[in-house]
Amino acid sequence: MDRREFLECAALLISGTALQQRAFALSSEQQQYLATADDYVSKSAKLFSTAQRKLVAAAAETIIPRTETPGAIDAGVPHFIELMVEDWFNDGERAIFMAGLADLEQRIPAEHGKPFDELGDEQQLAVLEALEAAASDSPWYQQGNIRRAFISDAPFICQLKELTVWGFFTSETGTKEVLRYNPMPMKFDPEYPRKPGDTTWAPPNFYR
Amino acid sequence: MKTQQNYDFDVIVVGSGITGGWAAKELTEKGLKVLVLERGRDVKHGSGYLGEHAPGWKQPFNGKPDRELEARDYPVQSKLYAFSAANRHFWNNDRLNPYAVDEGKPFDWFRGDVVGGRSLMWGRQSYRWSPQDFRANATDGHGIPWPVEYEDIAPWYSHVEKFIGVNGRKEGLAQLPDGEFQKPMEWFPIEKTIQARLRKSAPDITLTNARTAILTEDLPGRSACHYCGPCENGCSTGSYFSSQASTLPAARATGNLTLRPDSVVEKLQYDEATGRISAIHVVDAQTMARRAYTARAYFLCASTIGSTQLLLNSASAAFPNGLANRSGVLGHYLMDHFLSIGAVGMFAEHSDTYFYGNRPTGLYIPRFRNVGKRDDDADFIRGYGYQTMINSSNWMGQLNAKGFGAALKNQLSALPPTWVFYMAGFGECLPRKSNRLYLSKKKDRFGVPQVAFDFEWGDNERAMGKDIQKQALRIVNAAGPAFAIPIGDTENLSTPGAGIHEMGTARMGDDPGESVLNRYNQAHDVPNLFVTDGSFMTSASCVNPSLTYMAFTARACDYAAQQLAAGVI
Repeated sequence: MDRREFLECAALLISGTALQQRAFALSSEQQQYLATADDYVSKSAKLFSTAQRKLVAAAAETIIPRTETPGAIDAGVPHFIELMVEDWFNDGERAIFMAGLADLEQRIPAEHGKPFDELGDEQQLAVLEALEAAASDSPWYQQGNIRRAFISDAPFICQLKELTVWGFFTSETGTKEVLRYNPMPMKFDPEYPRKPGDTTWAPPNFYR
Repeated sequence: MKTQQNYDFDVIVVGSGITGGWAAKELTEKGLKVLVLERGRDVKHGSGYLGEHAPGWKQPFNGKPDRELEARDYPVQSKLYAFSAANRHFWNNDRLNPYAVDEGKPFDWFRGDVVGGRSLMWGRQSYRWSPQDFRANATDGHGIPWPVEYEDIAPWYSHVEKFIGVNGRKEGLAQLPDGEFQKPMEWFPIEKTIQARLRKSAPDITLTNARTAILTEDLPGRSACHYCGPCENGCSTGSYFSSQASTLPAARATGNLTLRPDSVVEKLQYDEATGRISAIHVVDAQTMARRAYTARAYFLCASTIGSTQLLLNSASAAFPNGLANRSGVLGHYLMDHFLSIGAVGMFAEHSDTYFYGNRPTGLYIPRFRNVGKRDDDADFIRGYGYQTMINSSNWMGQLNAKGFGAALKNQLSALPPTWVFYMAGFGECLPRKSNRLYLSKKKDRFGVPQVAFDFEWGDNERAMGKDIQKQALRIVNAAGPAFAIPIGDTENLSTPGAGIHEMGTARMGDDPGESVLNRYNQAHDVPNLFVTDGSFMTSASCVNPSLTYMAFTARACDYAAQQLAAGVI
């Protein structure tokens, strides 16, 4: 359901004289709504080289792969990561990320004879697991409560995972095809049945 | 009643938030011509809710905060749980409209800057005060006695509840009087289990619906909640009470309302010859043009801090310490509720069901300490209540999980096997003269002196905070969780102002030597001046105060209209 459909639905729900006022209100300002704005990932990015884009895509897909449901690449996560590193990271965070990327760009071909994105799935996984093992005492992992500001000195692997997980589960694909999505539930049922394989509802707002 | 030709309006109301909207509705419905002055931009009901139902992929940075912009323009407002890119346009821009944060002591002032004010983003909790609350000052000697009793206000509570729509459950408790409720929202099975266990193992505790101004039944022009979740982004169906959805349309329907957004009130002009306010001076926030309006009476509904700032800035030869401040208490006896102390329990039961729809409120545990008389084991006076919530985990709660691949993807998207019960107290604050706001020497872009704060929690609040945590842990453990932990910092109570229940600073009382307002929210010193936002509060109770502000506002409007009709004002 898009914004216009929602508002029309809302107008029908409302009784009495408010209906006419609503119809009038509907005709203006539609283009300003966030819900009908362009997707954030429709912005262009120009930070990564072609080789870096391949590497980031392979790493994101290793973190959240396509299974019977879409994965990170299907959901546009690699581009989200590039946008966030370019647009949202501060200089220090970006330096950590780019250094981590440069390390993989140089080290993997030296060790394996080919770039990260050409390794087999198991080898890619082993590389990222080694990074996670090396970073495992980072406060990023110790946060019991994830309602917190982004951890500015988090290691590269933590940045990569946070952006992948965030980008995936807030994407339209991840929201609708992996999680369940209903912006207008119309009722509250506290004893909704569970079926095997059910996933959580996409949260209607996000921790900050 | 006709407007006399020498006045622009019968009544001018400053502010269009929760109380300003009520003043506009009540006064216009009595046939009075009313001008509402709102310092913020206009936000139209429905079409002004730009972030409503915006999914993650439509939001800037997919919902991650715009850190640079927030640090520059919203350093105070962005601390708040309810602040996001989906509703940023409702909040005050701290850069454009600052207060003196580097003077006095730390105080968070969360404020709207739009038509509707904080009625758009409020928590919607709506509780009546009890007879004990209105007698608290007289009983223990803190502050001055309230000039009213519960019985004076009860009919006005009913009047307000019926119009705004409050869903809740009657409990018959003396310390939390029942109101005019719509049918209560449904409970999670785990909440019913917790309630059943508490009845056996903690029988002093009542677990009831949070009484919330969200419709479960349609009202004219407003429909029952559609359970989308984040009310604070605005609600096109008017399912929660806001000025936009409720009071302003009612006022507009009379044909007697003029609403002027972008109108920053600079000062009130006092005429010594008549002993009345004779004009109100306004700066246009867009053009910076200045002009004055006149009326027979003036209602300040600009929020506790805003109204008191205006009165202090309206000092004159007759009132050198601030308008209507012969008592000298204006700006003093500032109060807030402290919060975020409690306990969390994790429960493994009822993992066979899930939920559908987002219930936008929780349950409530009414005050049970010092009810009627002081508990023998209490090292504090007054009391507190708990707001409770059920959390069903999702990927956000495991954002930093270890692992990779299909296993991680499944872990982040699968239904959680547990329910988390969260309870946090709201503690009553004693009225103290040393807790105050005052005018800084710094001025804002309109030439109005900025507000600064001197506020500290006292020993009674600190002792109560420890009890809030201890009792919360007792209650959660009595409910039989898999495990429970205390939350909150009892050594460092929440930042003053963070309760967003700032009140006091123009308190009411029978003695003009000790109070600014009389029992009808009318200034002792200036008969055509009324103040009906939270600044009139003489004590704080522990319940969320907005319903009480609305009830007193409606009552003051009734009184003012009688006085105007009788020609007394």
